[in-house]
Amino acid sequence: MQSNSITTTYAPPFKIVAKYFIAAIIDFVILNFLLMLNYKDITGFYFQPKILAITHLLTLGWISMTIFGAMFQLVPVVLETKLFSEKLADIQFWIFLLGMIGFVTGFWNSDTGLHLNASAVLLNIAVLIFAVNMVGTFIHVKKWNITGWYLISALIYLIITAIAGFLLAYNLWHPYISINHLQYLKLHAEVAVIGWVTMVVMGVSYKLIPMFTLSHGYSMKSSKWAFWLVNIGLVGINIFFHFENNIIEILGSTLFIAAGIAFFLFQVYLIYKNRLRKKRDIGIKYSIFSFYMLGIVTLFGLIFSFIDLSGIPNIYLVFGYLVLYGYLSMLIVGQMYKIVPFLAWYHKYSSKVGLEPVPMLKDMFNEKYALVSYYLMTTAIIATTASFIFNSRIALLFSFGLMFFGSLIFTFNILTILRK
Amino acid sequence: MISEEKVFELLKRVIDPEIGLDIVSLGLVYKVEVNEESINVTMTLTTPGCPMHSSITEWVNNILLQAEPDKNVNVNLVWEPRWTPELMTDDAKEKLGM
Repeated sequence: MQSNSITTTYAPPFKIVAKYFIAAIIDFVILNFLLMLNYKDITGFYFQPKILAITHLLTLGWISMTIFGAMFQLVPVVLETKLFSEKLADIQFWIFLLGMIGFVTGFWNSDTGLHLNASAVLLNIAVLIFAVNMVGTFIHVKKWNITGWYLISALIYLIITAIAGFLLAYNLWHPYISINHLQYLKLHAEVAVIGWVTMVVMGVSYKLIPMFTLSHGYSMKSSKWAFWLVNIGLVGINIFFHFENNIIEILGSTLFIAAGIAFFLFQVYLIYKNRLRKKRDIGIKYSIFSFYMLGIVTLFGLIFSFIDLSGIPNIYLVFGYLVLYGYLSMLIVGQMYKIVPFLAWYHKYSSKVGLEPVPMLKDMFNEKYALVSYYLMTTAIIATTASFIFNSRIALLFSFGLMFFGSLIFTFNILTILRK
Repeated sequence: MISEEKVFELLKRVIDPEIGLDIVSLGLVYKVEVNEESINVTMTLTTPGCPMHSSITEWVNNILLQAEPDKNVNVNLVWEPRWTPELMTDDAKEKLGM
C-alpha cells in the first residue's frame, strides 16, 4: 500500500518547530515590555542605540525565529521532500539565539566594537547553517512549484541581509564604507523586509490561505507577476543602493516592488473571494488586518519616495512600526493561531483519529480570549501611530501597554495549546 | 463480510479537524470496493500538498484496519477527477456557509 502521509514522512518533529516558536513568542513579550519601559527613548530619528536594539530584537528574535520554525515545518510539506538535517536546525537555533542576544545587548549598551561584531559573526554563521540546510533540502525536490521559487529568492536575500548587516556593524567599529552609512543601512533594511520576510510571506500565503479558507477555482497568474516584479525591484535596490539619487531609486526599484506587492495583494484577494469557508476565524481576522496594513505601508513607501515627509514628527518610526507591527507581527500572530493548534493537535491526536473522540482545531484554544487580544493589538497599532504623529509621550506609553497586554493573552493562548 | 455502506459509515468518523467535516460529506471518497481479501478505497483530497489532508489517508487506513483486522486495506489516492465543491453533500455546504 502506498503511504500518503506527507506530514509523518516529511515533517521534522514537533520539538524543533515548537522550540523556535516558543523562543519567538517569549521574545515578542520581552520586546513589548521593553517598549513600554523605554517609551521615552522611542522618539525622533531611528538611528539610536535603544531603537536599533529593539528593532533587532523584533526582526531577529520574533520575525526571523518564527520564519525559521515555520520553514522547517512547511518546506518539506510544500515541496514534498525531507528536511536535510534536524541536527543542523537545532545547532542553528542556539547559535542564532546567542548571536541575537549579543547583537541586541551590543546595540543597547552602544558597544559597537568587538561585542557587536562577534555577535554579527555568530548570526552570519547561523544564517549559513540555515542556508546549507535549505539547499540540502531543495536539491532533493522533484516537483517545483511557485512557493518553492519564492522561498529560494527569500534565502538569497536573507544571506545578503546578513552579510550587509555584518558589514554595517563592522563599519561602526572601524569606519570604511565610503558611502553614507544610512544609505547602506537602507539596503540592509529593505532587502531584509521585502527580500527575506515578504518573499516568504508571499510564497507561503499561496499555499496556506487556500488551505485555511478552502478556496478553489482561481487563477494564479498574479503570483507570477508579483514574483518577477518584486525580484526586479530588489535587484534594482542591490545595484542602485549607492546612488543617493531619488529618481534612479524610484524607477529602478520602488515602482517595481510596489507593483509586485499590488499583484500579490490582488492574488490574495482572488483566493479569498473564491473561498468555501465563509466564517472568518481569528487567524483569518489577523491576516486580513495585516494585508490591509501591507497595502497601506506600500502606498506609504511610494509616497515617501516622491514627497519629503520628514517634517512630520516621528515619521520614520511610524513607517517602521506599521511595517514591523501592523503588517508583519499581526500576520505572524494570526498564522500562529492557525499553525500552532495544528502542530500540537497533530502531535497529540493524529494517531487517535477515528479510533476515539478527538478535539477539532478550534477547540484547542479559547477563541474569545484570542479575540480580546486581537482588539487590544489592533487598537494598540492605531493608537501607537497616532501617539507618534501627535508626539504624545503618555499616549505612547498607554499604546505600548495595550500591545504588551495583547501579547500576554496571545502567549497564554499559545501555551494552552502546546500544553493540551 | 463488511458491506460497502458500512465502510462509508466508518469513514464518516474521519473528520478534518480544521474544517470540522468528515471526508464522506466532503465528497472526498470516490469509490469503495470490498472483496474476500481486501477493502479498496479510492479517494481524493481537496488540495495537493496539505499537511492535514495528507494524513487523512492514514486515518482511513487505521479505521478500516481496526474494524477489519484480517483484511488488506488499500487506500488509493487519486487526483483525477479533481475534487470540486459540488461533490459535497448539501448539509456540508450549509455548514461551510455556502
